[in-house]
Amino acid sequence: MEKSRASVHRGGRWMALEGGAGSPPGGGSCTSRFVGIGASVPERRLSTDELMASTKHRTHIELERLTGIRERHVVGEGEDSHTLALGAARDALAHAGCAAEDLDVLIVSSISRYFGGLRLRLEPPMSVSLKEALGAARAVSFDLSNACAGMMTGVFILNDLIRQGRIRRGMVVSGEYISQLGHNAAREVRTVMSKQLASLTLGDAGAAAILERAPEGAPGIEVAGFTTLSEHSRLCVAFPAKIGRGASMYTDARMIHKVAIEDSLPLLREALDQAGLEFDEIDYLIPHQTSARAIKKGMRQLSESIGVAPKHVVVTVDELGNTASTTHFVALRRYLEEGRFAEGDRVMCLSLASGLEVGVVIFKVDQLVGRYGHDH
Amino acid sequence: MGTIIEASATATAHRRPFAPGALKLADAAARSCLERAHRSAEELDLLINAGVYHDRILSEPAFASLIQEDIGANPGHPPGAGHGTFSFDVCNGACGLLTGIHLADGLLASGAVELAMVVASDMDPQPGVSEGFGFPAVGGAVLLSAEDSRAGFTAFQFATFPEFAQLFGSYVDWQEDARRGLAHHGRNVLTVEIADSYAAQALECAASTARELAAAQTLDLGEVDLLLATASVPGFADALARRLGVPAERVAAPAEGLARAHTAAPAVALESVALPAMRTALFVSAGAGITVAAALYRG
Repeated sequence: MEKSRASVHRGGRWMALEGGAGSPPGGGSCTSRFVGIGASVPERRLSTDELMASTKHRTHIELERLTGIRERHVVGEGEDSHTLALGAARDALAHAGCAAEDLDVLIVSSISRYFGGLRLRLEPPMSVSLKEALGAARAVSFDLSNACAGMMTGVFILNDLIRQGRIRRGMVVSGEYISQLGHNAAREVRTVMSKQLASLTLGDAGAAAILERAPEGAPGIEVAGFTTLSEHSRLCVAFPAKIGRGASMYTDARMIHKVAIEDSLPLLREALDQAGLEFDEIDYLIPHQTSARAIKKGMRQLSESIGVAPKHVVVTVDELGNTASTTHFVALRRYLEEGRFAEGDRVMCLSLASGLEVGVVIFKVDQLVGRYGHDH
Repeated sequence: MGTIIEASATATAHRRPFAPGALKLADAAARSCLERAHRSAEELDLLINAGVYHDRILSEPAFASLIQEDIGANPGHPPGAGHGTFSFDVCNGACGLLTGIHLADGLLASGAVELAMVVASDMDPQPGVSEGFGFPAVGGAVLLSAEDSRAGFTAFQFATFPEFAQLFGSYVDWQEDARRGLAHHGRNVLTVEIADSYAAQALECAASTARELAAAQTLDLGEVDLLLATASVPGFADALARRLGVPAERVAAPAEGLARAHTAAPAVALESVALPAMRTALFVSAGAGITVAAALYRG
């Protein structure tokens, strides 16, 4: 990989930020942009009514009313984290107009790494088999894990490498087979206060994003930033289940929602300031998809505090459930396919994930519009 | 201007008075590393965990966020000025620590961060239950920053050899077990499987990757004054040195009992080295995949 360096100055910012007016001088002269977004959503659907009818105990929980989630997609025979990731990666390549061998870096960011059913593979990393399956022979590959902020973390890293000119093109991909956490939770949840309640909101999906160096003067990622507010790191934890195959997740959902909104406000301002933007200059805000109700409440709180609101807030959780690290890019892919964006639209992806991870990526969709059959 | 190693440190289970886990080992290594560099945790901008086998086989949150909170690296966002810490995990087996250093090198070069730490630790998460787990309980940490006057890490090389993926694997799977009186008639069990032929094959893969790096950097391997080579198997560094023509006295040797150290192995190797004396150091790690990571460091 090529290397370039410059003097370092972090400034007074809380987040690790790149791009925008206050960008560090070593950040490089290149712009990175999304050139392909892919998704792989299983065909099989599971309604919230069906899931709640499967609970072992009579819970009296009105999950659809509480979350706005009507259904989620779940894996079928032969599908797992690997197949979902592979499908999404191929979809992204098809729309990016490049080949796997053009990738310099391949990052896999799944939380769930299930191969062959519910066997959780720790080593080798999933990136080794995906790299081989895709034929990405030249790519430096590795897995990273950052809860539901995994794909966004991969975007942050690729953006850094592309801006410096170290690489030309990279992919971040994730496959989340997490509906099994819902099945495990259904055996144990008794009341709405259960710490496994959030597991009932999960759905399966794969997503991929390809970033590349933009031509000079072309728009792309304007600002990308991340920080970890680790005093909240233990509010959501997941590990192999004690009651059966797969995993269990325990979440203090009310608290994590409260601190995520309260603590992210100054960080959101920081990212907007760095980009030289007001909140209402964001055409589409894609937040992490946890529940429709939580998104509406959270975005209302943020908008009231800032004084203005983004033009549109993207919600796909009602049909897809919470698909963990893939949510932003499954939503982006869906909106592209539906022709919702116009050239020049500015999108903000906002990660609020276990850790507590707060991540922001602001970009223009220009080069993506038209690649999905909807020229504006 | 380059990414330099300010300090490194390790922590082992047998020296600890508490019942340790991988988290405690990572915490201890991270604190010790900061102490050696006369740095405080608040100065950290970036914390990457590269350990694989940790407490409860946690899949979420990132293990790095737990370490960040434990060591007090800007866990909360106070009103007013200051800077935060960004944490995440890299999962690349025995090559994870070098992969983490590679990512930190990029973020240091861009100025997105000024001080970074890569931490790795492994410990059997299911003593008495897991199968085939043979890595020693050890944590390691490497502290990195950018310095104008030194070259530091000048090149990285990564390679994968998926044709040998079956030689080293680990997984968690449900095992039915009605005999032990378990409430759910079974449990999820960690299994680590390393074939006898892994060591020899890892050596081949590591040697070819190291030679590629040397060729790309026009480096005469005879000039290497320190080889830090790890593959989670004993004798690997000496064997690679012979293969590459690096004299035996220039090989960093792990402390007794740590020859099978896994993700923390490069930090373990650094423990036997005087950092200021490192002129041209070659790091080579091999692991499951087979994946190889190599890096050239000029002190």
